[in-house]
Amino acid sequence: MSSTTWKEALASHMAADLAEEIDIFETQIHLRKQGKIEEKLFAETRLRRGAYGQRYDNGQRYDGAKTQQLRYPDVPTKGPDTAWDAPGMMRIKIPFGGLNTEQMAVLADLAEEYSDEILHITTRQDIQLHYVHIDDTPDLMRRLAAVGITTREACGNSVRNITACPLSGVCHTELFDVTPYAQATMRFLLGHEDCQDFGRKFKIAFSGCRHEACGLANMHDMGAVAAVRQTDGTQQRGFELYVGGGLGAVPHQAQLFSEFLPEEELLPTAQAIARVFARLGEKRNRNRARIKFLIAKLGIEEFRRLVEEERKILPHDPRWTAYLSDLHAYDEEALKAPQPLANGAADDAFTTWKRTNVYAQRQAGYSVATIALPLGDLTSRQMRDLIAICKQYVCDTVRTTVEQNIVLRWVSDADLPQLFADLQAAGLDQPGAGTLVDITSCPGTDTCKLGIASSRGLAAELRKRIALKGVELDEAIEGLRIKISGCFNSCGQHHAADIGFYGNSRKINGITVPHFQVVLGGQWRENAGSFGLAMGAVPSKNIPEVVERLSQRYIEEREQNESFQSYIQRMGKRDIKAMLDDLTLVPPFEENSWYYQDWGDTRTFTIDDLGKGECAGEVVSATVMEIAAAEREVFEAQVKLEEGDIDGAVQIAYRAIVRSARALVREQFYDVPDSADSVVSEFRTRFFDSELFSLQFANYFFTAHQEGTHGLDATAAHRRIEEAQLFIEGAYTCYDKIAAELA
Amino acid sequence: MEELQRINIKVYLQDPQSLSSEEVFRVFNEWIVDNTDEVLVDVADYDHVGNGPLTLLIGHEANYSLDSDLGEMGLLYTRKQPQGGELSERLAGALRAALRACHRLETAAELAGKVAFRGGDLKITANDRLRAPNTEDGERALREALDPVLTALFCSASYAVERDTSSGERLSLRVRAEGDFTPETLLANLAN
Repeated sequence: MSSTTWKEALASHMAADLAEEIDIFETQIHLRKQGKIEEKLFAETRLRRGAYGQRYDNGQRYDGAKTQQLRYPDVPTKGPDTAWDAPGMMRIKIPFGGLNTEQMAVLADLAEEYSDEILHITTRQDIQLHYVHIDDTPDLMRRLAAVGITTREACGNSVRNITACPLSGVCHTELFDVTPYAQATMRFLLGHEDCQDFGRKFKIAFSGCRHEACGLANMHDMGAVAAVRQTDGTQQRGFELYVGGGLGAVPHQAQLFSEFLPEEELLPTAQAIARVFARLGEKRNRNRARIKFLIAKLGIEEFRRLVEEERKILPHDPRWTAYLSDLHAYDEEALKAPQPLANGAADDAFTTWKRTNVYAQRQAGYSVATIALPLGDLTSRQMRDLIAICKQYVCDTVRTTVEQNIVLRWVSDADLPQLFADLQAAGLDQPGAGTLVDITSCPGTDTCKLGIASSRGLAAELRKRIALKGVELDEAIEGLRIKISGCFNSCGQHHAADIGFYGNSRKINGITVPHFQVVLGGQWRENAGSFGLAMGAVPSKNIPEVVERLSQRYIEEREQNESFQSYIQRMGKRDIKAMLDDLTLVPPFEENSWYYQDWGDTRTFTIDDLGKGECAGEVVSATVMEIAAAEREVFEAQVKLEEGDIDGAVQIAYRAIVRSARALVREQFYDVPDSADSVVSEFRTRFFDSELFSLQFANYFFTAHQEGTHGLDATAAHRRIEEAQLFIEGAYTCYDKIAAELA
Repeated sequence: MEELQRINIKVYLQDPQSLSSEEVFRVFNEWIVDNTDEVLVDVADYDHVGNGPLTLLIGHEANYSLDSDLGEMGLLYTRKQPQGGELSERLAGALRAALRACHRLETAAELAGKVAFRGGDLKITANDRLRAPNTEDGERALREALDPVLTALFCSASYAVERDTSSGERLSLRVRAEGDFTPETLLANLAN
């Protein structure tokens, strides 16, 4: 019987850099447990590895009457306000939503062994597993790494998952397939040095055309919309590039950065933008730290000028264009030949499903089938069933969508009835994809520390009620989108919905009542072309009536072909508010306590268990992160020495000194080369000669550099490790001095 | 196999309709308040997935769920944190915890005695593909530790064991004993 570890079992299956990163993270967990890494630093470290705290992680939970302490066995915490042993969320980046069956199988395995047998698709095409214990995260990451998936920078102040239209490559309106560009951007920016010092997260999306919703480019920090132009008689690919979009509490429409950015300029421009954001973006006030605030402050012209200046001085990187010679690597092939759907009697269920869930591809004879997932959830068993379905009908791949669904592409039309039957057997046959019933919701109070009201509870209730109406839904409202966020931070993308809601609360006679703010008239199409208007807060329990009333009035009162957005604008805020006025009333608790509970919860409502959000991460400078990484290397050197590997220990200790020295040098000379000689030279000039750094500790560096890393005995190796630790102490002190001067 | 720590136990309901997600949600919330034996953290509602962990009580040491996987309703106990002792002791520990939870549901005042479990019908899953592969060898190794526990559990009544050999499945054994057993009886048997 096997008793090996996942680390051993998968050693030859993981990319070396991913494997090393995970080992490092595992060491950091051990160090944190020993109290050798401070809380704030570890919080940002784990967030950048995708490990996120959940709502009750502060060690307390409201039980319906009072907030009680949860008695975790260990006192220490795993980050600010977060208990060590509280099971948390693992966000797994799925670039452009693309998954193959091998990856799907591993995800199903992980959901069973480390989570709760549920896989959750997010509004940014990630997959989240909940209730994962931090001690399990290194093995979870290894198993993902073995199939080419990383959780790195899934959270924290970093470049998050890069999204793209799930129809890329098969869409009728796209100019070209953006998949390889999304993938190349993800690879290039992942762990990139220039993306490690942001004050907040940075989100990128790709879209194949301007007019559909697809990539939602207008609500991203950086949105790239496919564009082409004729140059010297040949067609040149590029992007219409937008920057500074974002939802959050204050939504910003993205601004046009470039009407046409040639494809070869995509990656260097993204890098230059990252540098400007890292250098000038707000770091202290996290509420104003997204790039949209920087651009609003500078103005788009000045921001563009700064980025263009930065672009000019970027050291050349062959990766900027290397991928362009291999753009077809991500082309997907069909498993079967294109065959038309046979004419004949089809049952009602199939007809209904086909009408809403099937999209005819640009390639004749093929379709995209959408698997509509209630609340974005599917079980591990359904994932396994889906793997079998994939192998039966398509060539091994699926894509997740920002509407929290999964699409199967390249289904031969003739297979659609049997595919539907197989999806039925797996419980994956929900109709109504992309319609009123296909409601998007963030996790809300279920698991998020910031959630105020139960967005998932409300979504489930609305879904149940709308689904009951089924085919009776009027055509005018069927295509409307409902999107729900648990708070004003917009993770449910409520601003971009026809009918959006975000959670808040109101005190009624001293008792807190869950409410949702009604936001109407946002535009999903045109890459989230416009945002909705807030109309007022309504008690959570009256929201289904809001949807009923609004949709009924729209059906009755709309003018010919009038869109919902136009109808809302024509009606105006005053009339809409009047329409909903009676629904804002809440009976006293003694009369009807039902209003004082949230959807899907039997406890009396409270906001007492609100916590500090983790989406903003902890602002820890890139320099401090690097010095901390060097410190962890010193720990590794000690372990090597204990194992008797003297040369290995000395090499790691030396590497740690160089790493921390380079981190300091970068404070003054950002593009310092990697070579140790360069670091020594620059460090000597900038920190030793200027006496900014302890001269004694600096000499440890120079001596180590001169003596090299071979031929030391155990005593000398031990001393070298001690010196490395002292050098790192000096680096921390020096950085504090620099930071204080800057402040 | 001896290192196996993650053990799942599922006990099936006599009447699948006897317990709703909403009722369990309420009861699980009360367990968080009343519980003194282990750290219980939160309750999650997954009723919308159809078949699966419909209502889930998340704990530090273990999770409990009203589970309808494959359309069979029951209580699923998922042990997460390591237990001491040999594997047979850990299997017995997981069984005890699962059966205690069943008994607690059966005797919960708010459920008015309408809930009953088929104690003689269990699914035991080694929730660790690395240490317990779903193979004949894996089954043999697990049975070595499990059989003495089952003999004690069913008081030497005969039982049949069937392994789920479906692709991708964990090592899962469905155990069906001859005769009727309530969780209370089984707990008493394990205590002897």
